[in-house]
Amino acid sequence: MPVCNFWMQGRCRYGDKCWNEHPKAGGGGYGGEYNSRPPQQSNRGGGGGFGNRVWVNPAQRSGGGNYVQPSSFSSQQGGNNWGPGGGGGGRDSQAQSSNFSFAASSPNQNRFSALNTQSSFDKGGRGEGEDNEKHLETIQKDMEIWETSGQWLFSCYSVLKATISGFTELSPEELRLEYYNTKPSGDLQGYANVINQLVNQWRSRVQELRAMSGNTRVAMLAELDNPAPQAASGGFGSTPVTGFGSSAPSGFGTGFGVPAQVPVQDTSGASNFSFAGPGAASAALGSAASAVPPAPTGIGSMATTVPSAAGFSFATSAANKETTTAGFGAPASASGFSFASTVAGGGGAFGGSGFGSAAPVAASGFGQASGGFGVMAPADSLFTPHSQLSEEELKEFGGKRFTLGQIPLKPPPVNMLVV
Amino acid sequence: MSLFGASTGFGAGGFGAATTDTHNPMKDVEVTSPPDDSISCLAFSPPAMPGNFLIGGSWANDVRCWEVQDNGQTVPKAQQMHTGPVLDVCWSEDGSKVFTASCDKTAKMWDLNSNQAIQIAQHDAPIRTVHWIKAPNYNCIMTGSWDKTLKFWDTRSPNPMMSLQLPERCYCADVVYPMAVVASADRGLIVYQLENQPSEFRRIDSPLKHQHRCIAIFKDKQNKPAGFALGSIEGRVAIHYINPPNPAKDNFTFKCHRSNGTNTATPQDIYAVNAISFHPVHGTLATVGSDGRFSFWDKDARTKLKTSEQLDQPITACSFNNNGNIFAYASSYDWSKVTFYLTAAPLGSQPLTYMVCWASVTEHYPISPIWISIRGTLNLGKGILRGLP
Repeated sequence: MPVCNFWMQGRCRYGDKCWNEHPKAGGGGYGGEYNSRPPQQSNRGGGGGFGNRVWVNPAQRSGGGNYVQPSSFSSQQGGNNWGPGGGGGGRDSQAQSSNFSFAASSPNQNRFSALNTQSSFDKGGRGEGEDNEKHLETIQKDMEIWETSGQWLFSCYSVLKATISGFTELSPEELRLEYYNTKPSGDLQGYANVINQLVNQWRSRVQELRAMSGNTRVAMLAELDNPAPQAASGGFGSTPVTGFGSSAPSGFGTGFGVPAQVPVQDTSGASNFSFAGPGAASAALGSAASAVPPAPTGIGSMATTVPSAAGFSFATSAANKETTTAGFGAPASASGFSFASTVAGGGGAFGGSGFGSAAPVAASGFGQASGGFGVMAPADSLFTPHSQLSEEELKEFGGKRFTLGQIPLKPPPVNMLVV
Repeated sequence: MSLFGASTGFGAGGFGAATTDTHNPMKDVEVTSPPDDSISCLAFSPPAMPGNFLIGGSWANDVRCWEVQDNGQTVPKAQQMHTGPVLDVCWSEDGSKVFTASCDKTAKMWDLNSNQAIQIAQHDAPIRTVHWIKAPNYNCIMTGSWDKTLKFWDTRSPNPMMSLQLPERCYCADVVYPMAVVASADRGLIVYQLENQPSEFRRIDSPLKHQHRCIAIFKDKQNKPAGFALGSIEGRVAIHYINPPNPAKDNFTFKCHRSNGTNTATPQDIYAVNAISFHPVHGTLATVGSDGRFSFWDKDARTKLKTSEQLDQPITACSFNNNGNIFAYASSYDWSKVTFYLTAAPLGSQPLTYMVCWASVTEHYPISPIWISIRGTLNLGKGILRGLP
């Protein structure tokens, strides 16, 4: 839009109605969708100087008016563009309070402060860096409000177009359904643990953003400038998220419901939430990886530290998702086997599906042995050395899955285990 | 049906009551035989059907039908079951069938005349929304699910007519032919146009910062869908027009369902907006929230018309009947306090599910210009409206 010459001279008689650009300071530089046309007619071309004051057009926010600020709200014009809404009262400040009854009766309250930091308006040509600073402040304020308001915790959050990473998005219905699904098994403690865990994750993320330390600031600025793709959950970079979200929904309803009953530790309880998508899943995973429970009580046999990941091994092996969960569904105790914990990726399928089909054989063995291999193996070893295994058995162990009828009775050699 | 008589009743109930009855503070008519668990959705019968029939789906896996008589009394009529909690219900436009969507990943078509229900849709995850689409050249059911797909079903075939991919789990949707809008997790917002066949029309950047919770399409003066109201968990509703003359000015958001509205010194309690419903005649909207209140708003005048007293439980669903004379709202636990209950108290000592659940039908004074002009008297009651102990 061309710059208005009269405005530059301070004598534009259209004021905000002018179709040319009225730059704030130093002109230009700010290329956003600058809508010079005034939002409210009440600013009768008051001339150049006056036009500034009621400049409340939010369109300039980068992203083009995402956060719709009802400009006509926050300014203090006489409310004469309200039409019949004002009701019987006069059109003066008294009516203002009724007009603004959307949120409150106080006329000067900026209702949209959470959405729109007023100061961002006057930025004019100051450029992106300043914007981001304001955004960071907005984030901090929003975190503060979020913490104290008692609103729903498991929600995404965003300032600009993209959501800020590190928040898991779950609807109350999903959590409720989860509860209803775990209720028959009676493992409400597991459910509560999962909720607690999610709450703690949320709280730490909120506090991190609220404190806005140096690292967080840098990370946030990077995010604001380059919105990350939605699939990645930035807060839990240490754990692999791929394959999780995509395969989660199908496996969730059937397979997860069952194994969840047996393990008591948070992590497998958290496996229930893999359905919620990559964000939630990685959140659960992240916590699993980082906070490995020492000795989960429910299983007993899980002496290794990997069991926390066990809950997810069958999930991350997306290729065999369907079969593994189905396999787990059958032998209810099978979910407790430590065997699954020692494999990951492709190996997960190996362990999972194998047990699905070998349920009668394997489960009994695991039920007794703590290491999981005690019964099967010769008493003095957990693993069979290569030499003691026949060709077929080696082939079975080497393959992706066991074939029915040819499942080895001896445990695999240690080097064939994919950890 | 003394509608205007009811308005004084409203004021009187607020004024004279020494102790506020929080179970039914609005003194509305309570529906008989409510479901045994939280009510997830309500829907009134369409105009094609004489009389008013109310369908309510609940977390007790059932869908119930009541007939609402002119004096407000309700008569339970029929019930159908799913194998999982029912999340959404809708009517066909001729009022003969009811469609129900459930967490058991199926949607069923309930023929009211024969009282038979057959499955008509299948998803890989719980179905969150179901809507009936009546187009000139086709009829179908639209189901949105947590498996991130939006599927369209001809009720006669087990395979979907069409399946569209959503960016995330479907959280809420609404259909007013020829427009459909779906709000998904991670603040996704997609508008579809339904002429000829459903196709994606536009993806919209969400005007809200937090999780989307409910959505409702509104119509313009020519009775064509013009935009939608989107509610979030953060006590805020966004009014968004599809093709407004001036987007920056016409689209706006407003805060609602928050405690101590005017006092900004103390931190507010912010509640989720559980449902939004538009009055079929006046175009005013009703929002119900986790705080246990419902409010009526005029989006064109951008004013709040009325807020109810606070109920003891969150309000989870609401619906206007086809001519706007009746407003039904359901009060039941919406799971919004799960983090509080499970982290603050040991299991077993706090109610993890609802305590009481009931649906109430109220014969409300019409939201009309006449109503607004008596705001003078209403203002007297405003203090009682807002100021609860």
